[in-house]
Amino acid sequence: MAQRAAVVGVGITDATSPRKQTRSHVELCQDAVWAAVEHAGISPADLDAVVVGNIDGFEGTVLGGKHVTRLLGLGPHLPMVVLNTGGTTGGNLMQVAARMVRAGTHDRVLCLGGPTFFGVRDLQSAINTNSPMIVEQPLGMGGFHMGAFAASAYQARHGTTVQDLASVVVADHRKASANPHAHLRYTLTETEVVEGTPLSSPLTQPMVCPVSTSAAAMVVASEGVARSRTSPAALIRAMGTSSDPYLGGGKGDFAVMENLAALARRVYALADVRDPRSEFDVVEVFAPYVHMQPMQLEALGFCGPGEGIDLIRSGATDAGGDLPTNLSGGPKCTNAGVAGELAPYAYTALQVMGDAPESIQVPGARTGLAHGTGGSFFQFENLAVFSRLDPQEQS
Amino acid sequence: MTSPLTQTVHWDLTYDVHLGSTWGRFMQGLREQKILANSCPECSRTFVPPQAYCEACFVRTQEWTELPAEGDLEVFTVVWQGFTGGPTPPYAVGGIRLAGADTLLMHVVTGLDFTDPATVREQLPHGSRVRAVWAAERTGQILDISHFEPAG
Repeated sequence: MAQRAAVVGVGITDATSPRKQTRSHVELCQDAVWAAVEHAGISPADLDAVVVGNIDGFEGTVLGGKHVTRLLGLGPHLPMVVLNTGGTTGGNLMQVAARMVRAGTHDRVLCLGGPTFFGVRDLQSAINTNSPMIVEQPLGMGGFHMGAFAASAYQARHGTTVQDLASVVVADHRKASANPHAHLRYTLTETEVVEGTPLSSPLTQPMVCPVSTSAAAMVVASEGVARSRTSPAALIRAMGTSSDPYLGGGKGDFAVMENLAALARRVYALADVRDPRSEFDVVEVFAPYVHMQPMQLEALGFCGPGEGIDLIRSGATDAGGDLPTNLSGGPKCTNAGVAGELAPYAYTALQVMGDAPESIQVPGARTGLAHGTGGSFFQFENLAVFSRLDPQEQS
Repeated sequence: MTSPLTQTVHWDLTYDVHLGSTWGRFMQGLREQKILANSCPECSRTFVPPQAYCEACFVRTQEWTELPAEGDLEVFTVVWQGFTGGPTPPYAVGGIRLAGADTLLMHVVTGLDFTDPATVREQLPHGSRVRAVWAAERTGQILDISHFEPAG
């Protein structure tokens, strides 16, 4: 029988650079899984399935999800689903786990995102392996080069300066400095961002995410399981995914995130969200490149076209603002691939459960929006609306 | 002495990717200095590179047309930092709107002076006219168009 699904446990490891990381891929996954299981207050034997994400080519492994799952110490006979949807793998993990629970065939599903790009020497050439072969890959575009198209188009459309873009980085770093799990926890000035090493115009090094190592895991459970707990869960009120054409040139207009706007309309309708700006207490978006966050805020209906940076500058998206966004510091400051893509879901769930790290918890947060995106040109979007689900009153 | 943290792994694999009939025809066109596109019978949008199915209407594309080898540069980025196996930076890659196309054709754009990074964008503002320059040796691949250059 169909049932609603909720997040009941989250585990996130502290992030660091590949160079400083002393744990292996498997060990980080173990740490996140056991933290999630403990947070959920269940035992591994209660799990009905595991959904594990990996991006084979990016990780220097093949079928990494399969061998990792055996080594988590969760016991035998645990059904496993490997999810491998490239850059959206992490963002799709909860979507798949929640569908399994909603279908009524599973009551507790673990989803796991490990570190991707673990130790890769040249990330841009690694990412370029997923750009459209034959017609776009030979043109000399790696990850951030493809990201830069949207930044460049957005600038041309709205007259956005490099200084404007830098202000977003400054805000992200200020937030990350308060998050104990974040990777880049130093603060920056706008000048430092503007004067950073040019990568692909208009992006400078500080405008682009780092390569981080960390892992994240979540336990998705049925509403019945969630309500029988003694502490709040994060009910998944609505979720969805949407895709643009795969070729970068199929996007049509790089200056606006039309695909995300369409997905937001669909997911808001499912969740009965009518006024997103006033209804969400907390938002986490997947914005590894600086221009993405303002463009996403616009596509998600929080402000008009070209107003995203003003919204961020206004303080509305800071802790204490009316739309706290990426209080984790976001992927701009911590991006461990699959774990990084799962992070917006993990942090938003923690926020509405009231269990985010104290330094970034939004007091009384009840409703949250989590977003993920991926693909060489970010053609693929995913979104979920969470609401705090209080334990059933004991009679 | 601390324990070793890493060990080097190296992959170096070559693939032969099958083009299929749609891209095969497109590549044959490039060899003959023609940019071929096809269209969706339902929404009438024209795709370059061509595609077998329309991704919006989910129907088979039909009519083939040859597009002019000239178009408007709608967006570009200057690559200052390249990557292993890529071209040597700086270079520019852009999205070009060929007349009659509903998609952008991504390609290398030349004719920019990279001396002062701050002025590069102004050299080719949105909508600047660019034209395809054909490679002398054409073998049926996207780089049969060597690059696009300003047509002004």
